[in-house]
Amino acid sequence: MNAKADVWQGTLALMVLKTLYAMGPQHGYGIARRIEQASDNLLSINHGTLYPVLLKLEQEGAIKSEWGVSENNRRAKFYRITKSGQKQLALEVNPWGQATEIVGRFLALKGVKT
Amino acid sequence: MIRTLRRASNRLLGSLWGHRRADDLTEELEAHIRLLTEEHIRRGLPPEEARRQARVQFGSVESTKESCRDQRGLPALDAIVQDLRYGFRGLRKNPGFAAVAILSLAVGIGGNTAIFSLVNGVLLQPLAYKDPHRVFAVREVYPRLGGQVPVNPVHALAWAKECPSVEQVAVMRGNRADLTSGGEPVSIPGVDVPHNLFALFGVEPILGRAFLADEEREGTDRVVILSESLWRSRFNADPSMVGKSIVIDRQNHQVIGIIPGWFQPSYGISSATNVRFEIFRPLVLGQQERLRLTGNHNYAADIRLRSGATAAQALAEINVVQARFPRLAGIDSELKASLISAHELVAGRARLGLWMLAAAVGAVLLIVCINLANLLLSRIASRSREAAIRTALGASRGRQFRMVLTESLLLAVTGGALGILFAAWLVQLLVAATTLNIPRLDEIRLDSGVLGFSCFLTVLTGLVFGLLPAWRLSRGDPQEALRAGSHTVTGGRRGLRLREGLISLEVGLSAALLIFAGLLISSLTRLLQVEKGFDAGNILTVDLSLSGDLYADETNREGFFERLLARVSAIPGVLASGFVTQLPVRGQTWNDPIYLEGTDRRHTVDNRYASPGYFRAMNIAMRQGRAFDESDRGRGVAVLSEKAAKLLWPGEANPVGRRFVGEDDKPKTLIGVIAEVRAVLHHDPPPMAYYPYWQRVPGGGALVIRTAGNAYAAAGALRAALRSEDPQLPIRDVHTMEEVVDRSLAERKFQSTLVMTFAASALLVACLGIYGVVSYSVACRRNEIGIRMALGAQRAHLLGLVVRHGMAPVVLGLAAGVGVALFLSRAIRGLLFGVQPTDPITIAGVTVVLLVIGGLACLIPARRAAGTDAIAALRFE
Repeated sequence: MNAKADVWQGTLALMVLKTLYAMGPQHGYGIARRIEQASDNLLSINHGTLYPVLLKLEQEGAIKSEWGVSENNRRAKFYRITKSGQKQLALEVNPWGQATEIVGRFLALKGVKT
Repeated sequence: MIRTLRRASNRLLGSLWGHRRADDLTEELEAHIRLLTEEHIRRGLPPEEARRQARVQFGSVESTKESCRDQRGLPALDAIVQDLRYGFRGLRKNPGFAAVAILSLAVGIGGNTAIFSLVNGVLLQPLAYKDPHRVFAVREVYPRLGGQVPVNPVHALAWAKECPSVEQVAVMRGNRADLTSGGEPVSIPGVDVPHNLFALFGVEPILGRAFLADEEREGTDRVVILSESLWRSRFNADPSMVGKSIVIDRQNHQVIGIIPGWFQPSYGISSATNVRFEIFRPLVLGQQERLRLTGNHNYAADIRLRSGATAAQALAEINVVQARFPRLAGIDSELKASLISAHELVAGRARLGLWMLAAAVGAVLLIVCINLANLLLSRIASRSREAAIRTALGASRGRQFRMVLTESLLLAVTGGALGILFAAWLVQLLVAATTLNIPRLDEIRLDSGVLGFSCFLTVLTGLVFGLLPAWRLSRGDPQEALRAGSHTVTGGRRGLRLREGLISLEVGLSAALLIFAGLLISSLTRLLQVEKGFDAGNILTVDLSLSGDLYADETNREGFFERLLARVSAIPGVLASGFVTQLPVRGQTWNDPIYLEGTDRRHTVDNRYASPGYFRAMNIAMRQGRAFDESDRGRGVAVLSEKAAKLLWPGEANPVGRRFVGEDDKPKTLIGVIAEVRAVLHHDPPPMAYYPYWQRVPGGGALVIRTAGNAYAAAGALRAALRSEDPQLPIRDVHTMEEVVDRSLAERKFQSTLVMTFAASALLVACLGIYGVVSYSVACRRNEIGIRMALGAQRAHLLGLVVRHGMAPVVLGLAAGVGVALFLSRAIRGLLFGVQPTDPITIAGVTVVLLVIGGLACLIPARRAAGTDAIAALRFE
């Protein structure tokens, strides 16, 4: 796995946590759809890349999964955020906000012509 | 931190439950794609197109699965599990190889574990005393006579007073104690000790108290301390025993304490060091004993050094004291002492033998390892294509290396587990073999230290025989292996060279082991054939000890022996019967000086008291004169062995009729000179003096009867005679004299049997190795042999060719092995008897045996090769 994917995975993990926090238990498809919608479809992900992230979060204990029945009466695996996942989310939201703000400000600087 | 830990543990679990999770994931991913497809259909796409879109949007299912799989388990652990599974599969496919490997390893590791538990228990574990390095047993030495003798109590008491480096001295005397309380009368080893013995060793009684100085006097000495084991076995560990009275030697003794079961003083006299003293009584030194400045070397002595003092200092101080005694007694002799550390006293005699066994069994395991490496190498040769394909498909060398090593470790661990079970059984067998005179044998068990050793050995073994094949396999050039196709002549040759080297090693080690075994066995046969000085056939013996008030009186003892001997000689089938204070081959005894009246030269000899019938019963040859008989009552007479007579009258051809002073300081007339009798089988006979028993009636000894037929037939009658003479007399086991001789050889028999077994298994394993390598080389050279046959080579010529090639490493190894044995066998000189370590007959014998067996192992594959059909061999390509 290259470095770019790693960064992407970290970001994706945050998005997954936020989605589950905001919307309650969801299956993988629902999470993917939600991330696409939240970004106004600007962000288009390969849905497959979600699963390693889900597995990692589950191994860390940030989310839990169980089999259930989806809205169209199919068997599906539902994920929900745990207490420790909420803590993790709270801890990571602030630095992320600061980082994006700084980067945003930086990019907003007008070039000085010489 | 916690997150990382939790993740790690989850991954570990993931490794173990990987299968179920993987199925789960597949289902989940399928569900996801189905939902995506349905959404596209809702948007109006035709199903076919919807499914395609969904797949595009999802990305690669396989790569998702793969990254999940990598993340789920621990890749390294997974690889190990995979290697293990692979190893199991490989072994299952080849059960013959697996069985041979595991069994040979079990025997090798089991044997090593068992011998190590002996070495550990006897040699390595420290004694349980307080500061055992400061405790020494002392023996006195007459340098001119070249002998160590037990201690004279007067000398020992002087060391205690005069040597500043010696903190404490304890003089003691072993005996047999007849215990009548608490069950059937028994006679068990006891020892009379001074009050400070327990303090000297730093041992506290577990109940009651130690002796008081006051109890070393006549009248107050009727107290006894029991060993914990006796207290438990005979008195049911009853704590109220302390203070009670029990009957020992027909006298009441008050029990005052119980001493821990492991405790034994260092008793440096008896040749049987595994005698365990169970009854401790205070030592009372009578006025007589305190006055005898020389002779009377009938005691053992232990000393404790003052802290900071060295053994050399103490010895120097003791030797200063020693020098005085011969002068005081007016004897022209030098007297010194020697110190033996407590540990040395216990382990010293057993050390050489045990290390030799350890080395031998270690060599067997090494041979097993070499052989397995060899077998694995041939398996690898046949797997080199498989390995090449693996490498070509991207398996790393490290992975290939690990795979082979895992297989060998799997074998080692299975063999090791079996081996530990085997060792547990062996150790039980060893400990049960009570005839073995190995010190501390009862302390030996498979403890955690021993188990640790065998685990270490198991892993080491796996590495030793696995590394070489693993290295070779992972180093192979896949291109070459694949290109070479089915006839891997060049690669095979290179492998063959290595395997021939291993064969040389195996043969060399086996040769050395066989030579050692041969030397030990020829020592044993020589010992069995040695001129003992008596005839052991058809003799029955029983040990006697008379104790208690009844026998305190000499005339009572004399009457007992007289009546008993009369009764015994009346038993039908008894040809001759007699009594002696100490049987031959049971060790030296009663070492006291005899001398010519009016001279200063004292000659220490082995003194024995016997009944007139003894010499006839034992068939000891008279050289000159006659044995004593009943008509000698009232006269001071004696019989000397040839050596003893030579000591007194060096130049005289027939000294019979001359007079000398016996060990009892009374004048004796020499009435006969008798043949030498061995006091210990493996030493030359000491000079001996025999006196009629009525001159100084002993309190114990051995009865011997010679019977016309089977000696055991008279055992019942012998017991009955003893019972009717004294129903209270404890009767010990009745043995034949052959058993007595046998028992004195038990340890040597044990050693040589073990080494012979080791050597035989080494030889067997080496044969398998030779056979395997020659078969392999024949298989490699099938084409060559086919061509030779096609060109008209004779069958005999081909046979010779194969055998010659096969025997080359054998001969090389044999030469090396003989060299090693010549070099090392000097180390076991102490275990040999009548054989030089370089005994040419043994070496020649081993050479012939190895050449013949090695030749046979070559011949079988050679015959197969010579029977090859030329056409078939060439077509095989």
